[in-house]
This record gives sequence, structure tokens and C-alpha cells, in this order.
Amino acid sequence: MSLITRLLRPHRIVDAHCDIPCGIYDPEQARIEAESCLRIIEKHDASDDKLFRARCIHVKEERAELVKHHLDVLWHDYFKPEHLDQFPALHETFWNATKQASKVKQTLDVAAAKELLAMIDTIDEMWKGTGGPGKTRVSGRPS
Amino acid sequence: MTTPRLSIPLIATLVGAAGALAAAAAARRWLDAAEVRGRSMAPTLLPGDRLIVESATFQRRQPRAGELVLAPDPREPQRELVKRVVAIDAEEGALHLRGDAPGASTDSRAFGALPVAAVRWRVLARYWPPARAGLLP
Repeated sequence: MSLITRLLRPHRIVDAHCDIPCGIYDPEQARIEAESCLRIIEKHDASDDKLFRARCIHVKEERAELVKHHLDVLWHDYFKPEHLDQFPALHETFWNATKQASKVKQTLDVAAAKELLAMIDTIDEMWKGTGGPGKTRVSGRPS
Repeated sequence: MTTPRLSIPLIATLVGAAGALAAAAAARRWLDAAEVRGRSMAPTLLPGDRLIVESATFQRRQPRAGELVLAPDPREPQRELVKRVVAIDAEEGALHLRGDAPGASTDSRAFGALPVAAVRWRVLARYWPPARAGLLP
């Protein structure tokens, strides 16, 4: 039986392929990390403890890196060429936002961290405008 | 005494089997079997489905919208994809491919249109599992 099954089994494999089978995206993920950056900078500024301030800088850099990662995933994987017709500034918005995340990683600038939040909110509007909430989140979460 | 009588059908069987294998090898240029991996063509095609594919049709004419085709992944040509043709731009000679499960498919929306010449094989039928065997699409 196993021999027959093996003989019948094609050697040719064709892929009904999907890069990202989960398809779950939400700019909220980037925003939460960016909010962490802002709050950590404020806590850093309010403290006199050298060690605590050093920890703040370290953790803030990690969080800012995560902002970049989450924005990249949205940019590469969620947004599609047809979304560019609707939002022609899409690429520039992402480029500026990821650069802003780098700035937040490098500095302790409260204004820069707030600006990053505003940029993520612009991306959030694009995500909502392209039907993101209905298409890329699982429904049924209590509001 | 019985040996010569048995050996003639035996030789005939062996020659026949060898001939069938040779014919199958030659036919593979036009006809082949393929197994589906992945879920982007659900519910039409499911992982493990086995298909008969043929390459004669697209030597005569271009693919048409709605047909199921095999095509190399433009980003990774050694991978062969199975997708549905959703549109054909005859002037540009470009095919747009889409998975039947668009929410779980990487296709022309991600990698763009394919040149018509890249698509040689058409899905003709499914032979496995027997319960869902039949002509496609």
C-alpha cells in the first residue's frame, strides 16, 4: 500500500504560497512602543539616579528599534501597490516615520517622541482608510 | 517444461512496462502530476491535493482569466506557484495572478504581473483525493 501511495505521489510540488499566513496588522503595535519611548524619556528627565537614567536610555533604544520593526512590517507586508493610488504619500510617510524612530532612538528629545506619535497616527489613518481594522484584526475584542 | 511458457508473457510484461515508463517520461513534457502545498488557493485547492497539469494549451493560445496556472515565483524562480489568472493585459503581455484566498495569498498584488511567456502549465484536473476528483477550474 505504501509503495502504491509512493508511486502515485507526484514529484512536482506546486505552491499555493503565502508569505504571511496570519495577516494580522495594526499600527497600534508601533504606537505602544513609541508611547513607551516618550514616557521613558520623561522618567529619565525626572530622575537624578545615574543608574536608573542609564537603564532608561537602554530600554528606550530597544523600544525605538521595535517601533522601526513594526512600521517596517506594515510597510512591507500590509500595504499593497494599489494603496498607493489612495495614499500617494505612503512611501514618504513611512520613510519619515522610520527616520523619526531613529531620531527617538538616538536622542532624549521629548518633542521628537511626540512627533513620532503623530506620524504613527498618520499611518493609522492610512491603515483605517484601506479597510485595515476589518481585514487585519480578529473581530470580537471587547471595546 | 513450464518455464518457456511462462517466460513469454513475463518478457511481454517487462517490455510493456518499460514501454509505458518511456511513454510516461516522454509525455511529461505535456502532461504531469503535481501536489499542492499551502492554503492560498482554498477552498478550490487544498494542501495535499494532486493535480493533472498540461502544457499543450498555452502553446496554442494565451492564458485566460479564471484559469488555474502554474507559474514561477518571480522572487524565487525555483519555486513553482499555483494561482488563478484574474486579468490579462494583452498589449503588455502581462498576467495578473491571485490566490482564491486573497487574505492568505502572496500573488501579483505583492510581486506584480508576470510575463505571459513565464506561464506554461495549466491545471486540468484533480485526481486526488478521489472524493473531490474532477476537471478544474
